[in-house]
Amino acid sequence: MAKYIAQRIIYMIITLFIIATATFFLMKLLPGSPFNQVAAKLSDAQMEILLDRYGLNDPVPVQYLKYIGGLIQGDLGVSFQYNNRAVTDLIMTRIGPSAHLGAQAMVIGSILGVILGMVAAIRHNSWVDYTSNVLAVIGISIPSFVFAGLLQYYFAVQWRIFPPSFWDGPEYTVLPTIALMIFPMAICARFMRTEMMEVLGSDYIELARAKGVSNNKIMFKHALRNALIPVITVIGPMTLSLMTGTLVIEQIFAVPGLGEQFVRSISVNDYPMIMGTTLLFSILFIGVILIVDLLYGIIDPRIRLTGGKK
Amino acid sequence: MRKANWLLLVLALMLSAVLVACSGSDNENASDDNTDTEDSENTEETADEGDAEGSDGENVLRISATADIPTMDPPLAEDNFSIQYTDTVMEGLYRLAPGGEIVSGIANKDETEVSDDGLTYTFHLREDAEWENGDPVTAHDFVYGWQRAIDPDTASFYADYLMSGKIVNAAEIYAGDVEPTELGVTAEDDYTLVVELVTPVPYFDSFAAFPTFLPANQAFVEEQGEDYALSADAVLSNGPFTMTSWEAEAGWELEKNDTYWDAENVALDGISVKVIKDADTALSNYEVGELDRVGLSGTQVNDNKTNPEFKSLSETSVFWMKFNQGSESAGEEMQNVNFRKALAKAFDKQAYVDVVYGNDSNPVNFFVPENFVEHPETGEDFQTGSDVLAHDVEAAQEFWATAKEELGFEEITLSFLSGDTDVSKAISEFMKTELETNLEGLTIETVNVPWGEQLDIMKEQTYELAVSGWGPDYGDAISFVDLWVTDGANNDISYSNEEYDALVKSAKGDLALEPVERFEAMQEAEKIALEEAAIAPIMQRKTSVLAKNYVNGMDELNPFGNDYSFKYVELDK
Repeated sequence: MAKYIAQRIIYMIITLFIIATATFFLMKLLPGSPFNQVAAKLSDAQMEILLDRYGLNDPVPVQYLKYIGGLIQGDLGVSFQYNNRAVTDLIMTRIGPSAHLGAQAMVIGSILGVILGMVAAIRHNSWVDYTSNVLAVIGISIPSFVFAGLLQYYFAVQWRIFPPSFWDGPEYTVLPTIALMIFPMAICARFMRTEMMEVLGSDYIELARAKGVSNNKIMFKHALRNALIPVITVIGPMTLSLMTGTLVIEQIFAVPGLGEQFVRSISVNDYPMIMGTTLLFSILFIGVILIVDLLYGIIDPRIRLTGGKK
Repeated sequence: MRKANWLLLVLALMLSAVLVACSGSDNENASDDNTDTEDSENTEETADEGDAEGSDGENVLRISATADIPTMDPPLAEDNFSIQYTDTVMEGLYRLAPGGEIVSGIANKDETEVSDDGLTYTFHLREDAEWENGDPVTAHDFVYGWQRAIDPDTASFYADYLMSGKIVNAAEIYAGDVEPTELGVTAEDDYTLVVELVTPVPYFDSFAAFPTFLPANQAFVEEQGEDYALSADAVLSNGPFTMTSWEAEAGWELEKNDTYWDAENVALDGISVKVIKDADTALSNYEVGELDRVGLSGTQVNDNKTNPEFKSLSETSVFWMKFNQGSESAGEEMQNVNFRKALAKAFDKQAYVDVVYGNDSNPVNFFVPENFVEHPETGEDFQTGSDVLAHDVEAAQEFWATAKEELGFEEITLSFLSGDTDVSKAISEFMKTELETNLEGLTIETVNVPWGEQLDIMKEQTYELAVSGWGPDYGDAISFVDLWVTDGANNDISYSNEEYDALVKSAKGDLALEPVERFEAMQEAEKIALEEAAIAPIMQRKTSVLAKNYVNGMDELNPFGNDYSFKYVELDK
């Protein structure tokens, strides 16, 4: 097991290196400069001075080596749009609310989804099943910002039950969490229902029933566990994308998160920030994939990670 | 099996730990802010709650911002928010009062002496001004602040833009040839500041009120080092307000600064600013009473026009269509004055405003804005309302016919450069339809690219037609008139006219000390450029807001620098 993890970590580092390299060179193809905001008022000579100062006049390979050199020492550089603020600081101050909101939505959404899917499978072709199906279809097909807008309009503006936006305490997280959890809930419910139906029709469940195992035990110990595998596969990456911030939900509810930076840093040519957010996402993504792989083994011991050594 | 169950439980616990950790760190941040910013520990909690609620009759202005403040370091302030809030917590030699009037700040404006040649300014500072930490604000703080601004290591865009070629040695320092200590600004004594200029700068008063020229407390800046101005604690106030908290992407709180020399004339107890990027969210917050004032975007303007709380504020930004006379593909046509006039007069400017912005921005036929600068003697507006480039389809078609004859073409295709945002796309679609409908034989090819690329294309002058605008950084028409000088740094249309050049040159040089002649020379220059249709003016932009009727002192935008002068804002609740 330890050997397997060590091996995976080495692959992860190689993957990261490739991602960093590809992103760096692709990013340099972006038109414009980080000084777009004032560029209209800059003369060519002034622009040269600024580019020189930030080392942007060096040949791209030189810039790349410098960046990778800094990266190895854990230095992500300074942001252009936030005037020389360290990228690490910028990410750290913004990731908190994003991660909080994402985790909250994911936990509640996936638990509700799993329950919904299970109930639908157990009582399939009943009204419970139809309701759950309709909910799942709505959740998947209607984008979250529509929910967000509706929630905000009714619960905050019309009925004034919750504050319309900001990030000042638990009550402020209610509406964005609901808006954000709809999608994972719907996905989980769908996967869960399909898998559960399949599992419930399998021979070993029949056998367990024949042996007189109690219904609860069959459901939770035998069926749920086997049905969870595909759900875990989708939950991992989804958790990650929710926890690193969602642009639209964060904007609508004025959540001070990281979501905007993934888009904005690109549109303003903030090179160090583009690299920072990309690497952050990549590291977490690769990490989550590893965790998911490990989880398979725990949930279903038949999936072995290492060769059948005794 | 049992073991696996345990692992599941552990995982669940880990997830909840993440949750707890996140909310835990939030709380920590919040309490940090409290202890650092509130002076008396006993009232800590109540004061904080009061700020958060803000609606319990407190004299706190609650507004929103569409983005976080990028920096509170004055020389690095380039965007609206940095400029607005550095000015709010700090004070320079002068400051802007409502309506853009320049009034005394740390320096007494009436006592300022200007040498006869206009090259030496002597500012006399008030002796009762203090920094938040109790240090007096002295001339040395200005010397340090300005030297720090132009220091190439600071990499301030505005310091170079405003100081170079104007203050002695500024350009040389920025290029790294001379030490910052050689800048032409000296403290004759603690309260006398002498500024030496290379050339007379008739609008130096504007600079004295601009954030790049704010003082800095050397001891404090050096103590903070790299952290300077990156958090509320790392900002030292000498102005009407002090920053008490600043949370990334969430907002910031300002409190009246009791140590400010003119604190008795500051009406507000504080300002609470929330970062709200979504325009509809901002409006919702205004509607439920969380905000006292909110900016409106495109469609919101139309929905709220009849609201008694609706206001439109005129900006000093003017937008126009550029004719690139240096274009390789269409340069010959662009150099024909009848060709340019035809294009400039062929589109409906009012319809442009209605279709593209849907607000009440003013369609204009000039490029130096209205309500920006006034005649030094008569007090009349610079803008006398030229209409040579007014919308007139018939006249446009006549010019078009003449141009066709002179240039010998029947059909022509021109490219039209614009951005890739919704507004920019609306602009190019509108212009394509208008121009193609009204000018026979013309085909417009729209080119929509991201802003960064657009700038590159304009700099390289590889476009044919483009829409662009300009906002001033100081209160003088030269900011606009200087744009179209032959080979000027911003002249990306290759317009060239000797008479125009001569007028602008004298306005920048020998007429510098003759305000009336200078003013009239600039008016004359604009007239020439308009008669020749150097560019095609479109509109002077307006900002639309909803504001509760108890908010006073925010009914006008300042013509340059910080938009609002919070020092003079009052709430009549």
